[in-house]
Amino acid sequence: MRLVLDHLTVRRGPCPVLHDISLTLAEGEFVGLLGPNGAGKTTLLRAALGLLPAEGHSSVAALPPAARARAAAFLPQGREIAWPMPVETLVALGRPGRRPEDAAAVARAIDRLGLAPLRKRPATELSGGEQARVLLARALAQEAPLLLADEPTAGLDPEQQLAVMTLFAGLAAEGGTVLASLHDLGLAARHCTRLIVLDTGRIVADGAPRTVLTEALLAGTFGIRAHLSEGPEGLIFQPLGRVAR
Amino acid sequence: MRLPYPALLAALGLAGALLFLASLLVGPAAIGLSDSLAALIHGQGEAVTLVMREVRLPRAILGAAIGAALGLSGALLQGLLRNPLAEPGLIGTSSSAALGAVLAIQTGVSAAFALALPLAALAGALASVAVLLLLSGPRGSTLTLILAGIGISSLATATTALILNLSPNPFAANEIIFWMMGSLADRSMLHVQLALPFLGLGAVLAIPAARSLDALTLGEDAAASMGVNLRRLRLLTVLSAALMVGAATAVAGAVGFVGLVVPHLLRRACDARPSRLLAASALGGAAVVLAADVAVRLIAPDRDLKLGVLTALVGAPFFLHLILRTRQEGL
Repeated sequence: MRLVLDHLTVRRGPCPVLHDISLTLAEGEFVGLLGPNGAGKTTLLRAALGLLPAEGHSSVAALPPAARARAAAFLPQGREIAWPMPVETLVALGRPGRRPEDAAAVARAIDRLGLAPLRKRPATELSGGEQARVLLARALAQEAPLLLADEPTAGLDPEQQLAVMTLFAGLAAEGGTVLASLHDLGLAARHCTRLIVLDTGRIVADGAPRTVLTEALLAGTFGIRAHLSEGPEGLIFQPLGRVAR
Repeated sequence: MRLPYPALLAALGLAGALLFLASLLVGPAAIGLSDSLAALIHGQGEAVTLVMREVRLPRAILGAAIGAALGLSGALLQGLLRNPLAEPGLIGTSSSAALGAVLAIQTGVSAAFALALPLAALAGALASVAVLLLLSGPRGSTLTLILAGIGISSLATATTALILNLSPNPFAANEIIFWMMGSLADRSMLHVQLALPFLGLGAVLAIPAARSLDALTLGEDAAASMGVNLRRLRLLTVLSAALMVGAATAVAGAVGFVGLVVPHLLRRACDARPSRLLAASALGGAAVVLAADVAVRLIAPDRDLKLGVLTALVGAPFFLHLILRTRQEGL
């Protein structure tokens, strides 16, 4: 399923925090949403899902709530788990139905994230990384064609970060559409099929990682300089230092 | 070992049923088990029948219904606010109901007819819900809801204190203080008829909120993305809790800590699922209030020990224990 945003604008008071965003994400794309803190990444994801009032059009936000949940799964930035719910029960929140296919979807999500040994454990008693996997499994259990994830790799160890990125790439390869906001440009450069860069609520670059991560963009938007090279395993990105913006 | 959920509900229901029976059998008029039940079911108007039907039956029904309402509304509000320390008094309904009752006692309206006091308390409760919903608004966040509730609660408590403070009539002041302690003594079928529709309506409103509360475990954004209508959920939950707590306070005064403690005790047995906790807390609340109401009659048969005093005496140390444990878990 495609995600289409058309002239999406979000205002906080009189000033727009997201400015006239139009884009289309196709099936099979794993899109990294980049930008410095406060660029509007979270706002874009939430507006696309219809979680905050916005002008313009989003193909997901336009759906009625139940259809929205079938079309798109969302992994919010705050990893909130209010109650000591067993992992299995928590993952099943993404799939509350009682049909056999719902149970199968939950089991697939648990397997995919390697959570089988933790199935009965209260989620609040797990480590931060384990909790992140549980929450991701919950989103996957929805088996929605679109997955929007807000900083899914934040606070994870390198192995877990790679696991998440590989998983997302896999979902895209299976025909899903993944949009994830990321701060780690290296991970984004290596794993995403497309990068969209936001700065102060506007899209400043959009395209293949190689074409997006230019010296000028890195300096202008992120205030850094970096070494970029094409290695045998893809694009290698190494930040070198700060530059005056 | 953990009971499966249906077994848990059955066990709580059975405990409630036994305590209901105990509540029918305990009282100053010493009536044997078979006599009292025979009088209740096929009595012909003799004194025993009167005691059973007009004194003990309404007391037992109110104990079960009010306990269920307090347990259920506590579970609802904890689910909505995602906080184990939330309790029914938080939204200000119980203190507003108390203010209504206090006004009725102070002005003498309560002496005019039997239901004047509970009706005034109910009016106070409903007024507070209206103000709460106006203040927190259709778009209000959960935080606004809590703050508005605290504001309403403080204002109602302060007004009650002011009335007590300025009361020229020491008897009225005395009556107010005793009423506020919470009790099920000397309630009639009229009280049952007044409270049950509100308690029932409140319970019915809780049903469509159940599933949404499960999703809310993961926060408001996650819940909304899973198709939960947060505005509707807030409205349902607040109305449901307010109706139940308002009616409960109107007929029984303030019975504290049941709504706080019962959901907490049963949470893990329900796999921490807010939807499952609702029914379990209702049954558990009924059992706890029935037990407490039997206990006040057994502990001090001739001193009219107040129900609310006992629940608070047992509940408050538990609350402190809860805070201690929450701190240790680093939550």
